[in-house]
Amino acid sequence: MIYADNAATTKLDIDAFEAMKPYLLQEYGNPSQPYFFSRATKKALRKAREIIANCIGALPEEIYFTSGGTESDNWAIKGVVHGKKKGIITSVIEHHAILNACAATEKFGTNVKYLLADEKGLVSSDELEAIINDDTALVSVMYANNEIGTIEPIKELAEIAHRHGALMHTDAVQAVGHVPIDVNYMVIDMLSASAHKFNGPRGIGFLYIREGTCLTPFFDGGAQEKNMRAGTENVAAIVAMATALQKNCEKMKEVEVRLLNIESKFFSILDNNYLEYSQNGAYPKIPGNINISIKGTSGEMLLHRLDLKGICVSTGSACDSVNTQVSHVIKAISVPEEYAQGTIRISFGRDNSEEEAIVVAETILEIIQGKNGQVEKLEGKS
Amino acid sequence: MISTNKRCISCEEEELSKNTIGINRKLLGEDIIDFYCMNCLANYLEVTVDDLYDKIEEFKDEGCKLFE
Repeated sequence: MIYADNAATTKLDIDAFEAMKPYLLQEYGNPSQPYFFSRATKKALRKAREIIANCIGALPEEIYFTSGGTESDNWAIKGVVHGKKKGIITSVIEHHAILNACAATEKFGTNVKYLLADEKGLVSSDELEAIINDDTALVSVMYANNEIGTIEPIKELAEIAHRHGALMHTDAVQAVGHVPIDVNYMVIDMLSASAHKFNGPRGIGFLYIREGTCLTPFFDGGAQEKNMRAGTENVAAIVAMATALQKNCEKMKEVEVRLLNIESKFFSILDNNYLEYSQNGAYPKIPGNINISIKGTSGEMLLHRLDLKGICVSTGSACDSVNTQVSHVIKAISVPEEYAQGTIRISFGRDNSEEEAIVVAETILEIIQGKNGQVEKLEGKS
Repeated sequence: MISTNKRCISCEEEELSKNTIGINRKLLGEDIIDFYCMNCLANYLEVTVDDLYDKIEEFKDEGCKLFE
């Protein structure tokens, strides 16, 4: 099996797994309790918060544990709509956790505006400057796109947002643990992250909230997370998340170099075999994220054929029970129609090898060029 | 409406089911008009017939109308 869908989820890091075990089996005290048995879990939470904060240049008290990226995104969006300002600006290429959360706020009277993306998937700071106004409460633009990997000009966007008195949130689910992030340098007010995208466990993530940011609690309940996010903390997962993030940050440069070599090998095989494709996204992008649109084929067909060969990738188009629909991101970046339906995302991660990249590229060629959907009479039959 | 050949293009097995035609379309292309039976399709793709039935079940779970 070749797993090349690391933008969807990643393999749990072995050290992260080992780090969580004591908090599942021995140190299971509820960190909200005042007795000695809960002291170890309290300390573990404190240490995890420090580690995570250090990885993104934040203060420990600015890290709020959540169940993952979707919750963090929903909190950041819905937590600002009860103020006087009613404007939200986001982009057309956001993850549905943002798009649907923004749409849901409209029942509270918000006015949501959408930034367009160019053919590389970049949103424009000029366009933000043109549509932002003093009623804008929040600008939310993803750090890196989950389909095409493009890294957005977050610092520029954040500076514009601040000039107009708006908060800047970024969905950094695809970026945290893969590219360097400093929330102070980037002047970000809120940042969403999900552990399973950086070799941590599923079901855990965090929202960075800059000190002094006015945000309402997402859940009503207990006093956890300074009364901001009720619910008993998942200590084991939090500890594992911190372990995985620290390890990814320490090895970030080394992994990036390896992934760029893998990408280069992959593309050289496609190019040497004259495959007609376009590469989607811009540089800089998330290392290992390859999004290509192949002329005259079906991304969905390719995905399922690769699956039957034991190769896991993702597609930028999917059958909606009747017709093949191109994803909102591929539509937004205006990939030509004859290419768009043949879009696949191959996201190599730190555990992939160059040999695997070669197999993936050669298998794509075999499917596209070798048989290309042509029904042939099999030898020795009929 | 393009007419389709409901006989296996390879072994000429007759009366291919909706599911068989559906899995051909999914794995070989939406526009094909000739089809393989399950055995010949598995042979062509170098997979097992059970692999193909697993895929059919997944497509049905997703609500794909190409299957019954």
